[in-house]
Amino acid sequence: MKRYTFIGTVILILIWVVVSKLGLIDTFFLPDPFTVIKKLIELLTSGIIIGDILSTLIRVLLAFVIALVIGLPIGLLLGSKEKLYKSFEFVIDFFRSTPATALFPLFLLVFGITDTSKIAIAAFASALIIIFNTAHGVIHSKKSRVLAAQIMGATKTQVFRWILFWESLPQTFIGLRSAVSLSLVVIVVTEMFIGTPSGLGRKIIDAQITYEIPTMYAVIILTGIIGYLLNLFFILIEKRFLHWSGK
Amino acid sequence: MGTAISVHGLKKSFNNTEVFTDFSVVIEQNKITAIFGPNGSGKSTLLNILSGVTLKDDGEYHIKDYSKFQFSYIFQNYRESLLPWRTNFENVALPLQIQKKGKEEIKQRVEELQKIFEFKFDWNKYPYELSGGQQQILAFMRALVTNPKVLFIDEPFSALDYENNLLLREHLQRYYLAFKPTILLITHNIEEAVHLAEKIVIFSKKPTKVIETIDNPLPYPRTVQSLKDESFHKVKDEVLSVFQKAANV
Repeated sequence: MKRYTFIGTVILILIWVVVSKLGLIDTFFLPDPFTVIKKLIELLTSGIIIGDILSTLIRVLLAFVIALVIGLPIGLLLGSKEKLYKSFEFVIDFFRSTPATALFPLFLLVFGITDTSKIAIAAFASALIIIFNTAHGVIHSKKSRVLAAQIMGATKTQVFRWILFWESLPQTFIGLRSAVSLSLVVIVVTEMFIGTPSGLGRKIIDAQITYEIPTMYAVIILTGIIGYLLNLFFILIEKRFLHWSGK
Repeated sequence: MGTAISVHGLKKSFNNTEVFTDFSVVIEQNKITAIFGPNGSGKSTLLNILSGVTLKDDGEYHIKDYSKFQFSYIFQNYRESLLPWRTNFENVALPLQIQKKGKEEIKQRVEELQKIFEFKFDWNKYPYELSGGQQQILAFMRALVTNPKVLFIDEPFSALDYENNLLLREHLQRYYLAFKPTILLITHNIEEAVHLAEKIVIFSKKPTKVIETIDNPLPYPRTVQSLKDESFHKVKDEVLSVFQKAANV
């Protein structure tokens, strides 16, 4: 990484330092960054937060895997059958545009105040994104490649397996990356509002309620780091396996 | 010599533009035939109809001994028909995979072709790592790996520099002499047409008709030296004269 890539981050932290040192905002509500970072290190080294990180990560992972297992085949199927896609296009677009959080009460009714309902709602929202992107990946594949394979005498199955599936992968991966980010968002929010003994969302809301403001900031930053790393992980996989993307 | 492809009374129009109203042509077997004509005279359309990519409006056509596994078509935009997620080898192997051939047979066939094209590919690399000329050779090898009886080539050399262009012409002739397929070649370049083809079919403007078919008896293989021959220029001038009439230039 080039040195200038850090400039934005450094400026943001500097502004934070200046604002808290000059007392522009009450330090009770915005502690200086050193206090927050000290708190974050304390949370990590004492191990208090590890259980919460694991609970959240396991939920995110489960939601993501369920979304993948359901979303990928449906997306591939819809993408390769144009009429089928058209008939479901509105339903998918509608639920994709509906905030997942608006569906909380519904999922609570069905699954109760359990982990299942948190995972189910995150999986639902993520699956829609995966379906949408995978289907579009298949639909917008280069016609010249499909045509070339058809002229070689390829059957529909062969065209799908050797051309369409691969064509859809770059777009599918964009879907997977958005889906994992959305899973994290939904899981953290549900942890705040659907009772749970552990999880980063729970930790943030607890810290806020008890006015442990440095802890609140520390966990927020921690959640951000986790989201960033998940994203980075997917970008690395993409670079490794989709070396041909855009070529 | 038998007939490989016959077209009779073909009709085709696109959005009220009539390309073919009553088009007929006969292509001889085991020969290289070049189609030469003004822009928009339906050269590609003809190949697309014959290969089933585009539907005809009316008329008849017949390709002798047609089998989808012994027919190849090299598109003009060959670059976009190569598969970037497959290695160079896997790209050439694709048509044989489609025919469910075994690994050994595929390997053997690719090696055989490689000798003809004298090309040292890094087979484990990917098409996007090759130059434009190399990609074109790869597309050719992929089309020829099935040992097609009928081969359609649309503007194969237009994206190549002159040096690679001459080289690929030489390789194509070598392949032709070894396997004698029926080759139908579209080109915008008179030199290419006369250099490669035994028959040169000249199309008129739309609605398209065959104005004339010119024989080119120069023996194969035709080298770069042949391009300087008097007999080469004689045929080329003849084609140009007919083309002049066709395009009114």
